[in-house]
Amino acid sequence: MNREVPYWNPYLESLTRDSLERLQLKKFKRILTWAYTNSVFHRTLYQDGGVHPDDINSLDAVRRVPKVEKSMMQPIQRKDPFPYGDALCVDLEDVCVFRQTSGTTGQPVYQPDTWQDWEWWSDCWATLLWAQGYRPSDRVFLPFGYNVFVAFWAAHYASEKIGCETIPGGVLDTKSRILKIQELQATALMATPTYILGMADTARNQLHLDPAALPITKITCAGEPGALIPATKKRMEEAWGAKVYDHAGATEIGAWGFECSSQPGALHVNEAMFLAEVEDLETGMPLTEPGQRGKLIITALDRFAQPCIRFDSKDIVEIGEDRCECGRTYKLFKGGVVGRADDITKVKGVLLAPSAIEDVVRSVQGLGNEYEVIVDKKGDADNITLKVELAEDMADAAMAELKAVLATQLRLKTNLGYNLEFFPLNSLPRYEVKARRFKDLRKKER
Amino acid sequence: MEGQDSLANMRKAVDALASIARQLYEASEDFPAVNRNSKRVLASVEMLKINLEEA
Repeated sequence: MNREVPYWNPYLESLTRDSLERLQLKKFKRILTWAYTNSVFHRTLYQDGGVHPDDINSLDAVRRVPKVEKSMMQPIQRKDPFPYGDALCVDLEDVCVFRQTSGTTGQPVYQPDTWQDWEWWSDCWATLLWAQGYRPSDRVFLPFGYNVFVAFWAAHYASEKIGCETIPGGVLDTKSRILKIQELQATALMATPTYILGMADTARNQLHLDPAALPITKITCAGEPGALIPATKKRMEEAWGAKVYDHAGATEIGAWGFECSSQPGALHVNEAMFLAEVEDLETGMPLTEPGQRGKLIITALDRFAQPCIRFDSKDIVEIGEDRCECGRTYKLFKGGVVGRADDITKVKGVLLAPSAIEDVVRSVQGLGNEYEVIVDKKGDADNITLKVELAEDMADAAMAELKAVLATQLRLKTNLGYNLEFFPLNSLPRYEVKARRFKDLRKKER
Repeated sequence: MEGQDSLANMRKAVDALASIARQLYEASEDFPAVNRNSKRVLASVEMLKINLEEA
């Protein structure tokens, strides 16, 4: 195999715009027809919207197809065919892997995939890793505790698919991970920007080891936008002496965007596998000109078990210039995902909705109603503190038990660990209008 | 980019692969080791088709 070839798929990644759009329309009609035929949820949605797959004969006509939001998926799940419900398009026996969203915006959405879907997931990731210079000679370290969330699973399989030697660095602490990278002379690393910076701090301060002296040459980031924030990218690249690249994806969608080794300050959309539309936040009208910012509506064109068609990602993107020096014809989003359409924020790479914390606080017996959440940074790492009132005084043993219950529930519902501080009743601020219980002090630092 | 002839030849090879894998899958109802492995091959073959699909 020729390792100098710059593209994972030299055919698709250099299609002309006309050919690419023809392929997208062909695929869009196919996935729409598939969903219409096999999913009660989708068929009902389209019938109610007065749309039949036969009517969609241009990319402009795609806008007639009703969008899907996460909130529409939550109520149809946990029903037969259990647990996916009416959006499942394959026999339950063909589902080979379960994933779920984090649940920070409410009930988690379950995501089934077949072997074929999983091949597709890992191929999307292989596209981005190859574009970032990963080759079979690489030894790739993944310092992440794989679990029910999709994070880094597809990265792992894509790394294997490329032929890299892939090291699962799951249940190790940070120091052990750094020492394992050193021991095995790993050449590439994947993690959130926060963790990449945190690892560098740990290496320097606790192991007295310069991370730039390790053989890591490239780092792929996920979960947070930091790898395309110039100052953060610079800080990571200087700390590790490595190139740092971004990618974008989601459980319900797939890995749809990637930064290539030319580092254009933008993400390429993998347009052979995804149809990305950008719409105005207020009017919903399509945006197409470089410099325009809007909300990303996206379709995964080849994912079949639970199709993702015109999914409202809530991601805010900015349309970039047409071409990149890497030669790919895929469109660019400048700065990657530059924000979220709702008020959800990311902490330690995890999407967090303040309402999810409130839900937990107010469901735990022994706690008062008032609380305060403070997100800040300790060094380069996000730090989240929950201050909460006790409903009544309690003995130390009962307090310890309450603390354990709260920590467990918060971890389950928000996928985050917190510094917990308890206060007597009526000691935290009260608000008469528009409570400000969530304070993100990181924003002041930007 | 791959030449059109080369792409056409690869597509033909993938079709042939699909046919053989399907044959194995259908012939192995009572042979789980062959049945499940040929099913996985079919999943990979579908990915090959996606990677070479004509615009």
